[in-house]
Amino acid sequence: MKRREFLTTAAAAVSLPYLLPGEALAQPGKPGANERLTFGHIGVGGMGGGHLGDMKGRANRGEVNIAAVCDVDEKRLANASRVAGPQADVYRDYRYVIQRKDIDAVVIATPDHWHGVQTVHACECGKHVYVEKPACCTIEEGKAMVAAAQKNKVAVQVGSQGRSTPDCHAAITYLRNGMLGKISKVTCWHYQSPGEDNPRPDGDPPPELDWDLWLGPMRWRPYNRCYHPGSFRWFLESGGGQIRDRGAHVMSCALYLMGADQKGPVSIEAKGTAPTKGLWDSAVEMEVVYTFKDPDWTLVWAQPGDKPPKGDQGHNDYGAIYHGDKDKLILYGGDGGTWTEKKARDFKVPAGGVEVYKSPGHKEDWFAGIKTGRKTIMNIEGGVATANLTVLGNISFTLKRKIEWDPQKQEIVGDEQARRMMSRPQRFPYYL
Amino acid sequence: MDEELTVDTLIANLKDKDDKVRAKAWQAAGKVGAAAMKPLATLAKDGALEVSRSAVRAMWAIVRYAGRPGADGERKATVDALIGVLTDEGQPVQLRRDVVWMLSEIVRDDEIGVDGAAQGLANPDLREDVRAALQRVGGDNAIAALKAGLEAAPDDYKPAIAASLRARGIAVPGVPDVKLKPTKQTSVKPVGR
Repeated sequence: MKRREFLTTAAAAVSLPYLLPGEALAQPGKPGANERLTFGHIGVGGMGGGHLGDMKGRANRGEVNIAAVCDVDEKRLANASRVAGPQADVYRDYRYVIQRKDIDAVVIATPDHWHGVQTVHACECGKHVYVEKPACCTIEEGKAMVAAAQKNKVAVQVGSQGRSTPDCHAAITYLRNGMLGKISKVTCWHYQSPGEDNPRPDGDPPPELDWDLWLGPMRWRPYNRCYHPGSFRWFLESGGGQIRDRGAHVMSCALYLMGADQKGPVSIEAKGTAPTKGLWDSAVEMEVVYTFKDPDWTLVWAQPGDKPPKGDQGHNDYGAIYHGDKDKLILYGGDGGTWTEKKARDFKVPAGGVEVYKSPGHKEDWFAGIKTGRKTIMNIEGGVATANLTVLGNISFTLKRKIEWDPQKQEIVGDEQARRMMSRPQRFPYYL
Repeated sequence: MDEELTVDTLIANLKDKDDKVRAKAWQAAGKVGAAAMKPLATLAKDGALEVSRSAVRAMWAIVRYAGRPGADGERKATVDALIGVLTDEGQPVQLRRDVVWMLSEIVRDDEIGVDGAAQGLANPDLREDVRAALQRVGGDNAIAALKAGLEAAPDDYKPAIAASLRARGIAVPGVPDVKLKPTKQTSVKPVGR
């Protein structure tokens, strides 16, 4: 029996209370502060491979256990088994992982169209979840993710790491202390999405791939090399293009800095250009204008947009400029690599000024959320709010018209077709 | 000023060898409207790879334009044209599936024929897309069609229709919820054991 099971089932009746402080004792679903968490990894290619490597390092330091790795691609799974070590069981079907009693938490790094269903199912099985960004592909999925996390009282961290970086902390501290004055506009820039240069016909999936399970909730279609490996990013039903890939980073920071996780826009208007051939259909270039009310400000996602000069650190491939009535500030990047300007990095909070929570690291913040029950820095509400921006932008782009959004009801209003596009019922048996 | 497309010029441009010409055509197809649906379906069926794909994109463009607020006449005409393609069994299954999803965006609930939709749920090639479309529409007729489909469905498909009804807040006793039931085994063995 694992220690947590002992604590929950035998109520820690005898000696353990004398060894640990009371607040460190495990409660059902909440491991104790000193307990080594046990993880399962669902999706181990791409970013999932990075997460597994990171967690393996922690396991080697005795900080965590890795109990399971899972992938629908057998080559990736075999490679993950080598990385994770012989103690980790291997699975094709994630539902085995989330139903294991000895696993505390799962890291979900599957293609975007799986994030909603797998997160909801994991939460329903009492697992804490780290899910790669963007959180959801549809508005309906996002609502289900928030509801499942809240109902099951689990800690969800969405993989927009920018909020956990030192420079994002410096930037939000600078803003919250009024150094920019009233901010009326945030403009993002990012290079464009690729087109498909070499369209090819459908074919047979590679033998190592379970195509049915890769498609999962998406409607059936034949395999095509343009979907997998490594290219789900560029079609709207899954990855959704740069606005969802890096937008989920850059606009996560924007909502965080503007304190707008709970305040969606009231209108969204996109324009852009579609690829001229192939199956990829996400916008090559696009501009989306989000209008917020109370307070009034505008968020602009633009690819490519107006790129500022390179700062004194890192790259200027993407990021956002915060325009206040006193000054402006650039936040370069927005993901794990986030940099701001020297004036913000050097800023010291004056006496009586506003101190902002500083994340110890994105995974560490999640672990703390698991063990203490406090909200993670990129909690599911913030993750869904960010993903919703990207979903709504793509709906407006697809329909070629402005849409109106009720941020309280979380619904598109005044346009029945756009409202229908808030959901995309999943293919059986991979449903919410 | 660009020449306004007709059905004939739309089809001709979609057959062009230049992907930029084709793209300009399908992106402007919305205003050509419902009259283009049947010829586009034919082109989707018979055209070469990228011509066929361009024809499907043009069909989507018409659906997205016809569904705009305040254009009910265009929307209704487009729904009728799509139903013509859907019920044409000479069309490829994948195109008919696409058409079901097109309808899911613009068909009004009171335009759904319960018996016809239930028949769609009995068609193994189309039933998953029909089920999803009815769930998405979610009105009285859509739900009545799901209930009728549930009655007639084979036992192994009842859980799928039940899932759609439950997503719409309708209890379905006696049919299992199988979403957490694992079904797929790996052939990979843990390294080092």
